Amino acid sequence: MTQHPTSSPRSRGDRRATRQLGGARLVAPAVLLILAVTGTALGAVVATSLGLLPLVGQPRLNIDGFTTLAGDLRAATQESLLTATTATLLAAAIGLAIATIVVRAGGGVRLVIGLTVAVMTVPHLVGAAGTGLLLSDVGLAQRWSGISAASWPELVGGRWPWATVLELAWKESAFVALVVFASVGRHYADLREVAAVLGAAPRAQWRRVLLPLAAPALASSSLIVFVYSLGTYEVARLLGRAYPEPLPVMAYRLFTDIDVAARPQAAATAVVATGLALLAAVMALPLLRRLGADR
Amino acid sequence: MRWRTAHQPRLTVIRALLVFWLVVPLTPLVLWAGASRWSGTVRLPQDFGFRGWQEALDAGVIAALVRSGLLGVAVALIATPLGVMAGRALGWRLLRRPALPSVVLLAPVVLAPFAVAMGLDVVILRLGIPGEIAVVLVLSVFALPYTTFTMRATYLGLDPDLEEQARVLGASTRQARRRVTLPAATTGLATATGLAFLVGWSDYAVTLLIGGGQIVTAPMLIGSAAAGSGNDALSSTLAISASLPPLVALAVFTYAASRRRTAAHS
Repeated sequence: MTQHPTSSPRSRGDRRATRQLGGARLVAPAVLLILAVTGTALGAVVATSLGLLPLVGQPRLNIDGFTTLAGDLRAATQESLLTATTATLLAAAIGLAIATIVVRAGGGVRLVIGLTVAVMTVPHLVGAAGTGLLLSDVGLAQRWSGISAASWPELVGGRWPWATVLELAWKESAFVALVVFASVGRHYADLREVAAVLGAAPRAQWRRVLLPLAAPALASSSLIVFVYSLGTYEVARLLGRAYPEPLPVMAYRLFTDIDVAARPQAAATAVVATGLALLAAVMALPLLRRLGADR
Repeated sequence: MRWRTAHQPRLTVIRALLVFWLVVPLTPLVLWAGASRWSGTVRLPQDFGFRGWQEALDAGVIAALVRSGLLGVAVALIATPLGVMAGRALGWRLLRRPALPSVVLLAPVVLAPFAVAMGLDVVILRLGIPGEIAVVLVLSVFALPYTTFTMRATYLGLDPDLEEQARVLGASTRQARRRVTLPAATTGLATATGLAFLVGWSDYAVTLLIGGGQIVTAPMLIGSAAAGSGNDALSSTLAISASLPPLVALAVFTYAASRRRTAAHS
């Protein structure tokens, strides 16, 4: 930190160097905490999955954790990818719709804004409890629709993870809406006025002005929703079926198995989930950069 | 605007649908929380009452809410100051190469909390570190991207020269930061603190994995009620009690902020 910025005869370069040193000192605690915790944790997960950190017995390097349950691991990966992809697409579309309504309509949308923020603060577990009571075969939707419990579709715990996807899409649509709204807000009001003066129809204003402005925030928030949905445990635990289960549920089940030999398999499941999320981030990075979302 | 009138009906329908989408998953919770008997598949409860609330009290909801609150505060106490510092460095471009620190600060968003918790559990078991500390550390790490990038955006909108001018006028570095920059960053600071608090308040997976069921927070109670008991009134009541405190805090803050804004304008 420069103590006397005006009285000191230091050169500009000198001052920049001090500022940068100050900058490094400012980010250091956060960076070190993240590196220490995630480094230790992921190191331990990888080591456990390779048989190097057994709960009992001698460490022995092997890939049994990955191979023993290869079939289940593949099924869980598919289930996770399916859930996360569908939930992300829905959340992005609905989140964009909410943001559009909010930035366009000006007044009269305080209810929508209020509800969006409220949904954002509600824990996922609460959403999952509510979704379960809404969509199960004795849920509110069945009671109010008049369809008999016997012919009600298996939305909770059925063959297709409907309830899980809808809960994730519900809560994350609020997240997408708020991120897009925050990044577009002011700019859009100015640009839309220009577009309207130049004679652009509402639809053209949406496609040519709002969508390009919203794209970076939409893409980066969608990536966050996707990796979040890959790694979330409680929603699928409450609303999903027993088999095939998504990766986090499978990992937790194996981790708490009374058979300690399941530990490497649990860790292997966690490694696969982490690898998928990292891969998704790396694959999305060029797109995000092209859209300018990294700025 | 002229063009809007032509689209008013369609806009109204879309708005109504979005309100429906946002409200509908919470509706059953409200109904079940006020039902003391709702058997079969009838449309409305046979008896209204506070059975669920009584059972929630018996299940220890107050203590669990206090524990969740403490967890949220602990996470906010770690993640907010660190996020303010990092956000200042990133927002005011005080780093020559911000790319690598930015990647590290964003990394927790990509990582699955359960995977990190699982790995750390293996380590703390060997080192004998208390579970509570590990839970707070892991959740602080997951809160850091939110606090850092909220504060980065806040600092981007603030002029670093103001602090410099305060120092020219005789303020110390610390005074300039406290009296000039921080008051202008109140909204960002409150948002960052709120987000960090919510990470601790709402967590289920990390507390469950590392705590092994020993750290009973509000989400733990909801989880066990919703997963096993089939007691819908109880799980609804628990779910509502865990949702209300942050909502009330948010409403109070929004009200206070709007009052301050009106006061500033008049």
